[in-house]
Amino acid sequence: MNAAPSIEAEHLSRRFGQFLAVDDVSFHVEKGEIFGYLGANGAGKSTTIRMLIGLLTPSSGRATVAGHDVASDPEGVKAAIGYMSQKFSLYLDLPVEENLRFFGGAYGLWGKDLQRRADEVLELTGLAEHRKAITGSLPGGIRQRLALGSAVLHRPSIVFLDEPTAGVDPEARRSFWRLIRDLSRGGTTVFVTTHYLDEAEYCRRIGLMVDGRLVALDTPAELKRTWVPDRVLLVRGRNLSAGAASLRGRPGVRAVEPFGAGLHLRVAPEAWTGEAVRSALEASGGEGVSVEVVEPTLEDVFLAVVGRGAEAQAAQEVVP
Amino acid sequence: MTLSGSPSGRFLARVGAISWKETLHIRRDPRTLLLALAMPVVMLLLFGYGVSFDVDRIPLAVSDQDRTEASRRLALAFTENHEFQPVGGAEADAADTIFRRHRAQAILVIPQGFEKDLARGGPARAQLLLDAADPVTASQVLNKADAIALSESRRVAAGPGISAAPPLQVKVSSRYNPEARSAVFIVPGLAAYLMAISAVLLTALTVAGEWERGSMEQLFASPVSRLEIVLGKLFPYLIVGLIQLLLVLGVGTNVFDVPILGSPLLVILAGTLFLAGMLGQGLLISVLAKNQLVATQAGSLSSLLPSLLLSGMLVPIDNMPAVLRLISRVVPARYMVDALRQILLKGNGFAQVWPDLLAMLVFAVVIVALATFRFKRRIA
Repeated sequence: MNAAPSIEAEHLSRRFGQFLAVDDVSFHVEKGEIFGYLGANGAGKSTTIRMLIGLLTPSSGRATVAGHDVASDPEGVKAAIGYMSQKFSLYLDLPVEENLRFFGGAYGLWGKDLQRRADEVLELTGLAEHRKAITGSLPGGIRQRLALGSAVLHRPSIVFLDEPTAGVDPEARRSFWRLIRDLSRGGTTVFVTTHYLDEAEYCRRIGLMVDGRLVALDTPAELKRTWVPDRVLLVRGRNLSAGAASLRGRPGVRAVEPFGAGLHLRVAPEAWTGEAVRSALEASGGEGVSVEVVEPTLEDVFLAVVGRGAEAQAAQEVVP
Repeated sequence: MTLSGSPSGRFLARVGAISWKETLHIRRDPRTLLLALAMPVVMLLLFGYGVSFDVDRIPLAVSDQDRTEASRRLALAFTENHEFQPVGGAEADAADTIFRRHRAQAILVIPQGFEKDLARGGPARAQLLLDAADPVTASQVLNKADAIALSESRRVAAGPGISAAPPLQVKVSSRYNPEARSAVFIVPGLAAYLMAISAVLLTALTVAGEWERGSMEQLFASPVSRLEIVLGKLFPYLIVGLIQLLLVLGVGTNVFDVPILGSPLLVILAGTLFLAGMLGQGLLISVLAKNQLVATQAGSLSSLLPSLLLSGMLVPIDNMPAVLRLISRVVPARYMVDALRQILLKGNGFAQVWPDLLAMLVFAVVIVALATFRFKRRIA
């Protein structure tokens, strides 16, 4: 295996008639990386995946996956990757074990190799006890693990997972993500789309899609620093109303909002520390004041990015 | 690398994986399988017993205006062997009413003076009115009436005082189906008809189902090629179709005494080629239709009607208008029916049957190629 990036996309676009589903997207994914691809429904996530796995030819731009060009060598791409589609991954009327054997066979595995590998995957996904069960009779979370198992049975160097945890309960999602991290530690590159923002925290890097464009791409921490520069403070205590009124309008204070019995503050990090806020509130009669610095979530990032995207679009419409 | 073996080994592994999966689907759905296997037997029994072209006990009304011994003797000649069943007297001008009310299929009219004419040695005339709404039955009734009239005139001619032999003797001898039993004629046709319907429908449904579930996309994302999907899907249904063929022949020979004079292996070969074409047709339909409802309708229409009407199963191809004769050339059931009749009833071998086999082979290759080609163009 080479050390070149697993996935390289350059100026990738896909047009359906008048509709530009993916608009000039460029990125690369390192070997063994968990790369999250985020966006609302219809933002172009699935279209990007379908181009990368050789199901859809790009309208323009190019991409290589595991060293194969997606436009000129889609068969090479298909043999090298695993894919778990959004809509379907399994035959529900077949037993667990037979689903694995089928997808192994579809990738050319057979006989003892296939049996050994199927056993390994059953072990890996914790499904050994369900091997004879009819797939449709199992809960969604177990089926998702089986679908992932089917996608990696042939030991692909890259797996593409399109909304793998849609409609699955939180506990099942956590165990699913443990599997994904195990795969990544084993050297498999994981390209995953999701609209659960809490899950995206597990990704090493995240690309954010808005209306077909990749508007942000970085690690979760860096995205938060860039897109949510304010310091968010959670304040608890008694008699805070006078202090809250006095803080409003002072330099470096961006927002003061009631939050339960306390306050939510957004402040400029260079102007205010937690300590400074506490003394200011106590000076105005606050009692038992405690101040906690809250990490911004990816949800804050997402809202900021989508807001910025909308502004950019509005600007474009004014100045064509 | 995990992909084991040679390219051809992988090809077989993939086709085998799809065939095995399809077999499991069939096994998981015993109702479909039962339907596929019970339907031929039930249909065969229905057709064999129910749809019979052999007519007897034809309801006959007699309008005897002569009322003599000779006229009564003639009427008796029609009914004494139970080929005609007397349903009472009738006035000749009431024929329309009688036929419209289905009181009788035929009316024998014996005019006044019948006995006198006969005694004079001149031609004595009687008239048979036929309800020919169903021409097949009517022509059989006519044949029987002719035979009765002939033997009756022979009997009268041989009577005392007149010694002349009848001027013309007709002896019909029919071969290959000497008793002219419908079952012998219909079993080969029915075998082709039933295989056509279930082969087209089963494949049309399985592939359309794969589109509907979305699993086709998953398959296309794997290295499985279109040809591998097509072949993998065809194989299990080919086996089901051959079992149907054997069932129909088994019931045909055991219940209806249909002979198998030729080679059973040749029957299997013909069945395989025919099924390949029919399965390919189902596949093409499902590639174009992409949902189970449309596939079912297109599948039954395109298999049922041509196999029933243009195959020569019921209506002889030679009797069809030129346009239909031409169209029947691309209906594989036509070749299957012909091949089966040749092998089963005449005991013909490969030397005589090969044109039929070749025609079915060409159809199968063309339609599977077409299905594979259209398959490819529907994605991307």
